Amino acid sequence: MENSDRLLASHGLTDNQDRLLSADDPLADIHLRCGGSIPGAIAIPELLDLVNQARIYGLKLARDFEVYDGQDLVSGFVRVHPQSEDVGGGCEILVENLKRTPLAIEDERVTSDRLNLIDRNTAEIAARLDRQQHLQFLFSEAKDGLGLKEAVEQEPGLNWANYVALEGVSHQQPLHWRLLDGARCTLPGSKRNWRARLLPLGNTIETPQGFELLLIADEPLTRAGEAEKLSKMDEQNHMRLIGSSLAPALRQPIARVVANAETIKSKLAGPLRQEYADYAGNIASAGQHLHVMLEDLADLEVVEAEGFSTAREKVDLIDAAERAAGILGVRAQARQISLTLPEQSKDSAAIGEFRRVLQILINLIGNAIAYSPEGSEVAISVESALNGKVSISVADQGDGISEDDAQRIFTKFERLGRNQDDGSGLGLYISQRLANAMEGDLSVSHVPDGGAQFILTLPAAG
Amino acid sequence: MGDANMDISAPSAIEAILKDELKRGDLALNGVAPVLTHMLANSGGSLVSEAIVARLRGMLADLARQLLQATGAVNAGSGKPPVDPDVQSDLADHLAGDSVVLSHCYALAMEGHLSERLERKVGLDPVMSPLVQELIASTNQEIAELAIAILAAQSRFVQSQKRMEMPLGELPAELFHSLMRRWESFPGQINVEDFEGVLEQLKSSYDEGASRVGLFARAISAMQKGARAALELELAGFALFVSALSGLTRQPRELAILSCHERQLARLALGLRTTGLNEQEIERQFEILHPGQMLPDGLDKLLPEQAQAILNKSDPRRTY
Repeated sequence: MENSDRLLASHGLTDNQDRLLSADDPLADIHLRCGGSIPGAIAIPELLDLVNQARIYGLKLARDFEVYDGQDLVSGFVRVHPQSEDVGGGCEILVENLKRTPLAIEDERVTSDRLNLIDRNTAEIAARLDRQQHLQFLFSEAKDGLGLKEAVEQEPGLNWANYVALEGVSHQQPLHWRLLDGARCTLPGSKRNWRARLLPLGNTIETPQGFELLLIADEPLTRAGEAEKLSKMDEQNHMRLIGSSLAPALRQPIARVVANAETIKSKLAGPLRQEYADYAGNIASAGQHLHVMLEDLADLEVVEAEGFSTAREKVDLIDAAERAAGILGVRAQARQISLTLPEQSKDSAAIGEFRRVLQILINLIGNAIAYSPEGSEVAISVESALNGKVSISVADQGDGISEDDAQRIFTKFERLGRNQDDGSGLGLYISQRLANAMEGDLSVSHVPDGGAQFILTLPAAG
Repeated sequence: MGDANMDISAPSAIEAILKDELKRGDLALNGVAPVLTHMLANSGGSLVSEAIVARLRGMLADLARQLLQATGAVNAGSGKPPVDPDVQSDLADHLAGDSVVLSHCYALAMEGHLSERLERKVGLDPVMSPLVQELIASTNQEIAELAIAILAAQSRFVQSQKRMEMPLGELPAELFHSLMRRWESFPGQINVEDFEGVLEQLKSSYDEGASRVGLFARAISAMQKGARAALELELAGFALFVSALSGLTRQPRELAILSCHERQLARLALGLRTTGLNEQEIERQFEILHPGQMLPDGLDKLLPEQAQAILNKSDPRRTY
C-alpha cells in the first residue's frame, strides 16, 4: 500500500459550466498537462464527464478514473459533490489515490499504422502520386484548397513539390520520399500551415508503386473573427463571475454582519463600553461599504458585457428626480442639505429605461450630498434643448471639480483623492456607461458660484 | 388462429390492432410453458431461478416503498407513514420497466445468491474476510476507517439481501438518477404535493462515495498495486473480489458478478487473465467458485491484452 498515507490527495472547485476555478497541486498539475488553464474548462476528459454528470444529476458521485496526461497514465479515485445553485452551482472535486504509471510502449508498427489512419481521416486534401512522385489526381475538401486545384489544372502531371511551397527543403527535387514525409508546407491561396504525408503504395516499401499524398492542415478553417469572438466570450463569462455568482452569495452574509454590528452599536442587548459600540459602528460602516462595492461590481459586469442594452421607454425626468430625492431625503436631512426639485414642465419626457435613469440620478444626487458642505443646497433642474435632447442637471455648492479632474472623473476606480470610506470609484463610470447605452451622455461642468454640476442628457420623447 | 377465415376485403385499423395484440398474446402464452419447464428443471444452476426472481421482486417492491415513504414523510411531517400496498405494487411494476435498474438489481440478487452459496459450500464469510481484517488493522487511520465502513456496509448488504431489500442509496448514480426520472413518470405521482421537494431531499441525501460499492471502489483504488491481492477469493471475500475484478478489468461491477456464475466460465477466465493472473492462480479461484470444472489448457499463452480485447468485444458490455 504505497502512498497510502495520503488518501486525500487533491481538491478542486468548478463553476456551473464545468470550468475549473481552483485546484490543489496534483490535480492542477494533471489539468495543466492535459492542456487546461485555471480558470478554464476541465481538460481531463474522464473528470469532465464525471463533473458534468454530477452537476446535471445533482448527485454526489464517487468513481475511479484514468487519464493519459501526455507523460504517464494517471489513475485515481474522484469524489464529485455538486453545490447548490445559490453558491454558484458548480462542483467540489476531491481526488485521492493518485497513481502514475508510465504508459506501456506500444509496438512501433502499431503506432505508425494508427498515426497513418489518423492522418488519412483528417487530411483535407489527398492525392495520388506515381512512382516518381508525379501527381496523378487530386482530391480536395478544403475551401482554401482551390488555389492548389487551379495550379494543378493549369499544369498537370508535375512533381507534387512544384505545386506547394515546402518549408526547409531546399535540396534539389525529387528527393527520396522518406525525406519528404512529414514536411511542412504552404499552399497557394491558403493562409493555413500544412503538413505533407507520403505513404508508399504497393507490396514492398523499398520500391513503392506510387504514393498516397496527404495534406493535413494544422488548424481548422474558421470564419473570420470567429475564433477571436469565442475567446472573448469565454473571457467575459469569467468576468461575470462576481455579478452572477459571487454577489448573490455574498449579499446575505454581509447584510447579517451589518445588522449584527448595528445591534451591538446601538447596545440593544444591554450596556456596553462606548469604545466597543464605536468599533461595532466601524464594522457596520465597513460592511455597508463592502455591500456598495459588491453591487457596483455586479453592475460593472452588466454594463461592460458585450451586447448590453437598455429598454426604450418614455421616462419623465421630473418624476425620476422626485423619486431619487425621496430615496435620498433622509441622507440629505442628516447633513441639513436641502434638495431643490425642478418645477413641473411639459418637456421633461425622455426616452430611456426608467430604472437606469433612476440609478444615475441616485448616484449623482448621492454624490452631491456627500461632497457638499453641511447646510448647503443641491439643485436639480430639467431643460429641453432644441436638438431633440432633454437634460437634467444636479448642481451642488461644494468645492467644484477642476478641469483636470473633470477629464478623469468618469474613469473606472477613479476617486479623485477623496478618502471617505464610501464609494467604490465605479459609480460615475457606471452611470456614464448607462447614459451612453441609452444614447445619451453624462458630463460635468462648473457652476458660477463654485460647485460642480453633472448633466445627464437623453433623447427627448415625441 | 382464425386468420384465414376472416373477411380480408375490408381491413380496418381496429382489425390490425386486434390482430397484432392477439399475436402478442399468443407469444406470451407460448412462452409460459418453456419458462416454467426451465425453472423447474434448473432451479439450482440457471441464470434465472425462482430464488433470483423472488429476490428481484422483493428489491423492486422495497425501492417503491422507500420512494412512497419519502413522499409521505415530507408531506406528513415525521415518522414512517404507512404505504398503500396497491400503490406500492403498481410503482414496483412501473420501476421494473427500467431495464438498467432491473439488471442492476438482478446482479445484486445474484451477488447475494452466490455469496450465500460460497458460505454454505466452502465456508467463505460473506461479511468479514482476512483482507478486510488486515485493512482494519492498518496503521493508516483513513484506511482503517474505510475498512470499518466497508464492514458495516457489507453486513447491511447481507442483511438486506436476506430481507430482499434494496436501499435507495446503494444504487449507482446513473441508476439513482434514472430511477428518479422513472418515478416522475409514474401516473400516481400527479397528486403528490411538492414532488420537487421530495426529489431534492432524496438527491441531497445521496452520496455514491458512502454506498457499499463506492466504498469498495475507494478501497481498491487506495490499495493501488495491492489491489491484485483482492483477486484471491479466500483472502478478499466474494464482494471485494468482484469489485477488484471490476476495477482491474474496467468492467462494470454487475458484469463482474455475473461472470462468477457457472454459466459464464469463459468470462471469468478472461477477466482474471486480463488482470495478469497466471493459469495456476486462475485455477485456484475456479476451484473455489466452480469445483469440478475444467479450465481449458494454455490460458497462459493468451496475453492479458488479448484477453481484454476479447472481453471488450462481448455483447453484454452494452447492457451494463
